[in-house]
Amino acid sequence: MASKAIFSTLRRSLTKPNRAVSRRHHLSTSSAATASEPYAGDEHAIVMKGVRISGRPLYLDMQSTTPLDPRVFDAMNASSIYDYGNPHSRTHLYGWEAENAVEVARIQVAKLIGASPKEIVFLSGATEANNTVVKGVMHFYKDKKRHVITTQTEHKCVLDSCRHLQQEGFEVTYLPVRTDGLVDLEMLREAIRPDTGLVSVMAVNNEIGVVQPMEEIGRICKEHKVPFHTDAAQAIGKIPVDVEKWNVSFMSMSGHKIYGPKGIGAMYVRRRPRVRLEPLMNGGGQERGLRSGTLATQQVVGFGVACELAMKEMEYDEKWIKRLQERLLNGVREKLDGVVVNGSLESRYAGNLNLSFAYVEGESLLMGLKEVAVSSGSACTSASLEPSYVLRALGVDEDMAHTSIRFGIGRFTTEEEIDKAVELTVKQVEKLREMSPLYEMVKEGIDIKNIQWSQH
Amino acid sequence: MVDKGQVISLCRSLLWAGRQYPDYNIREYAKRRTLDGFLMNKNLTDHSKVEDAYAEGKKQLEVVERVVKVYLAYPPKTKNIMELKLQ
Repeated sequence: MASKAIFSTLRRSLTKPNRAVSRRHHLSTSSAATASEPYAGDEHAIVMKGVRISGRPLYLDMQSTTPLDPRVFDAMNASSIYDYGNPHSRTHLYGWEAENAVEVARIQVAKLIGASPKEIVFLSGATEANNTVVKGVMHFYKDKKRHVITTQTEHKCVLDSCRHLQQEGFEVTYLPVRTDGLVDLEMLREAIRPDTGLVSVMAVNNEIGVVQPMEEIGRICKEHKVPFHTDAAQAIGKIPVDVEKWNVSFMSMSGHKIYGPKGIGAMYVRRRPRVRLEPLMNGGGQERGLRSGTLATQQVVGFGVACELAMKEMEYDEKWIKRLQERLLNGVREKLDGVVVNGSLESRYAGNLNLSFAYVEGESLLMGLKEVAVSSGSACTSASLEPSYVLRALGVDEDMAHTSIRFGIGRFTTEEEIDKAVELTVKQVEKLREMSPLYEMVKEGIDIKNIQWSQH
Repeated sequence: MVDKGQVISLCRSLLWAGRQYPDYNIREYAKRRTLDGFLMNKNLTDHSKVEDAYAEGKKQLEVVERVVKVYLAYPPKTKNIMELKLQ
């Protein structure tokens, strides 16, 4: 009797999975279509855009944006709850408290770049700051100054603003860069004319990570008395920035590149010697008349705290990121040949590593690296199929430009993530090279560039 | 006057609080930064500096405890690849 009971319970427990399967047939067609087949042990798999990954990829794209630091999050929470007054209301406590919070943040931002708090203007991001400076300065001095100098590797928003100015009738010189990504100072000196109204050179490039020689460029601009604008969105909090040493008149800063919130940025506008600017946003005259509109207090507070943290942690982060960069580069170079670093390795911000792998097709490499969140080219240009204009300006061949991958290392990256990224990249590149007939030919010693391909 | 026992107990509280973050990267950063922070100030002899560092540590502990509560209130729906492989 007891054995019968045991066997019946055994039979019941063994038939349970089948009953679960038959229950699924009662699902409506739409949910049956979206319900994925259960893999053994793969309950955490994410299926999105036709790609199946077993878990969240490891984040190595710090140049496009950074995660929010918990200390910044904490400050923003308190501010969202209590500082809801309009900072520009002068008549009641709510306005005064919000204004205090904004002024504290202004001092924190100013300290990071060595400026006075009165010279900081908050706006919605580095793109708005770049637009305001490039268009605003030239529109203000449009009678006397008709020429702008910029480089070919600038951010899209600067290049697009210059194109807009060209359509209005201004002249723009796009300075070419050397193969290591740095601006040639002699060419800059020659390009400056008496009617040059602005020189715009970004401090740290977002795609290749090279650091331009800011002090020398600042000295040249001071000699010729031309205002110097720099897009320092990738530079603040990462390399030491000093507006006096660099002799900049304008600087664009962005919050979400230094572990702060998105949707906030700042513009530094020099007061001595005074440079004038036509505002892009007209209205009630807030922010010295240069950017009207109510400030988002909690975003500003978050940006301020992020800047203060960046100042405190700059040395510590730099050591850690440099260590991880060497680990990544050496790890990849040990196992693979034909790895090229785009841009100068010496004058570089350590957290940005742009590698090109020879004899590998770029799109397939990116598709295979779906467990690593990296970027190829900048986020702004990755929608189109053509290779990034920055790499083209460096003189990189089309096929190498297509296989470039940008690894972004940041404060929160761990050694295990770097090791895993190296392992995945090496595996994927080796797999693609094995399949590639071009690589076979190279291994046999044939020079690909001198082949006469027969027409079919 | 801050003594050695208090410093060690502060370090232990910070490490324990940091271990509760649901996000892999922030959890690892909290552990590394706490340990490095205490190691960097290991050889301070000036009393006022030691008091300042201790006060700073206490402030960070408050921040971590507050923030972890919010992070745990919105648990992540997907697991990070690094956590899966460790299983």
